[in-house]
Amino acid sequence: MKKLWLSMTVVFFGLILLAGCVSEESAGSGNSGSSDGETSGSSGEGESSSGESGSDDGNTDIAVVPKLVGIPYFNASETGAEQAGEDLGVNVEYTGPTEADAAAQVKVIEDLISQGMDTIAVAPNDPASVEPVLKKAKEQGINVMDWDTPADKELVDLSVKQVDDEEFGRHMAEKLVEAMGTEDGKIAILTGGLSAANLNLWIEAAKKEFNENYPNIEIVSEKIPTEEKQQVAYQKTLDLLKSYPDLDGVLAVSTPAPLGAAQAVQEQGVQDEVSVVGSALPTDSEPFLEDGSLDTAVLWNPKKLGYLTVALGKMLAEGEMPEDGQQIENVGEITVKDDGKTVIMGPPQDFTKENASDFDF
Amino acid sequence: MNAKLSKESILGLIAIGIFVGMSLFTPRFFSSSNLSNMMFQLPEFGLIALGMMVVIITGGIDLSITYIAAFSGVGAALMMTNGFGILPAIIVGILFALACGAFNGIVVSRIGVPPILVTLGTMVLFEGVILAITSGNAISGFPDAYSLIGNGYYMGIIPLSLLILLFFIILTGILLNKSTWGRRVYMYGSNDTATLFSGVKNSKVLMKVYLYASLLAAVSAIIMTSRYNSVKVDLGSSYLLQSVAAAVLGGTNIHGGYGKVMGTIYAVLIFQFIRNGLNLMGAHSSLVDVVIGAILIVVLTFNFFSDKFSRKKAENTPEKAA
Repeated sequence: MKKLWLSMTVVFFGLILLAGCVSEESAGSGNSGSSDGETSGSSGEGESSSGESGSDDGNTDIAVVPKLVGIPYFNASETGAEQAGEDLGVNVEYTGPTEADAAAQVKVIEDLISQGMDTIAVAPNDPASVEPVLKKAKEQGINVMDWDTPADKELVDLSVKQVDDEEFGRHMAEKLVEAMGTEDGKIAILTGGLSAANLNLWIEAAKKEFNENYPNIEIVSEKIPTEEKQQVAYQKTLDLLKSYPDLDGVLAVSTPAPLGAAQAVQEQGVQDEVSVVGSALPTDSEPFLEDGSLDTAVLWNPKKLGYLTVALGKMLAEGEMPEDGQQIENVGEITVKDDGKTVIMGPPQDFTKENASDFDF
Repeated sequence: MNAKLSKESILGLIAIGIFVGMSLFTPRFFSSSNLSNMMFQLPEFGLIALGMMVVIITGGIDLSITYIAAFSGVGAALMMTNGFGILPAIIVGILFALACGAFNGIVVSRIGVPPILVTLGTMVLFEGVILAITSGNAISGFPDAYSLIGNGYYMGIIPLSLLILLFFIILTGILLNKSTWGRRVYMYGSNDTATLFSGVKNSKVLMKVYLYASLLAAVSAIIMTSRYNSVKVDLGSSYLLQSVAAAVLGGTNIHGGYGKVMGTIYAVLIFQFIRNGLNLMGAHSSLVDVVIGAILIVVLTFNFFSDKFSRKKAENTPEKAA
């Protein structure tokens, strides 16, 4: 027994010792960082020269990395990205992890760097975790951009956003008022999670819209978190319907929330009394849109998003930058924010009973 | 008889074969930048696979191992973001993991609940605890020196994280083959009743197995958090079933009693070469999973039949000898 404890302590000491030498050695290599930098710089040159030879025999290589592959949303953006590759004559590599795991995503990006891409566009699972690897990509002379979800702003050359947060929030608020048919009623707001930055921006914008243009709309409670789960949204909506029998509308942000809310409305048979508007994918919302339990689903077109990402990636590789109001074929007019790198695809898209079946995502 | 290669050596040859094949047929696989890229990708997964292997040798499984890693990463991250130094943060990270391992160990060894049930429960439990602490957000912003653990070079050539992995490969090898505990781990895995009646305290052996696995998970977590400069509830969650696959591909008997460190390491290398090579070829990610799954099934079937064959042979030879 003593021997075992001895070995365990050896493990600990070894580890602590190792940890000790980590910082010292790394400080050492930090001092000699210039030489390290040079070597990595020279390998970077080698990389870029091979990259050039790559572009000699082919054309521009653009990598698009989604959060994960194999879900309808990112399958739709893949179709768009690949179509853009065909239209614009660039090689598109659409690849990502099979699970939404930040570690797996970083590995995919590292392999793409080895592969010698001209542009890498990432939809980060965790913006902080891709920071080191994007830095590495930039050191190798690869253009770096984010799409769908912003990464560190300092690091990327371009940032592609689906919609303007302000406009999106206001648009959802308008749609809800339109669906309720009255500018004077009680509504509740469901959200995915209280700390989700983009959802909070949308809700703020929606509240602003209510305050400025529809002052008689009363929001009955603080925004209600639903843990990004349809089941929770369903439960919370049932509770809401019980607590506020005179509720007129539900605004549900985050993609599962409108479905849960609509499910509750459908089950209670109050489609005509309670309007539900939220951000959801058309295929998911179709069954609820049909009987009016969900009035409008608002989102953007992921196919176009994939297309735009590749189109902008090509521009970056060719050393161009997009301009405000520029017309992108098959996408439409884009907006470029004041910082010169944030590109907004366009206005949000509404999915209703009439058009939901036209989409395959 | 004398020229017969062990299961592990065959696997090692397969790994070398894949490496050579990939180098020949995949452009840029053998480039210096890709080789160093792979050296950085190996350690985090290698450590978790080693931990999983030790548990599987006892006939158990640790489904909570990646969440132990994430939990330990969260512990270290919280310390650092609250102004503590790197060393205390690492120690707290390891202590967090050991606490998780001790919990698994107590329930498995003292109460005697099957490991698959215990660790399935603790997997969900740890995930819940991490979610409660972080509310699903990533914790990031560590000191620059910390990032050198996962990203730095030792003497400017070998990644530091790879050295850490080498250290634990050797340590695990020594512990399993040379220490009393190691021999008891194999004994317990082959026949726990016989081990108990030989005067071994099974519960102590098991307890240390789960502690050791969680220690490896913690080291892996430190490398991961340092490499990605961030920790989140699902950090490394994709390694969970991969680590079981690597251990089993490495020849570890899922019923316990057999398993070699080198086998697991060869399996980890095979996974690494295939994943990286196919990524470089531009293959779809799901194809990578298909290939790895196929290799796993082929090797396991092969092992099954070769075991059966050698057992038959073993049954026959004594007669001849007699």
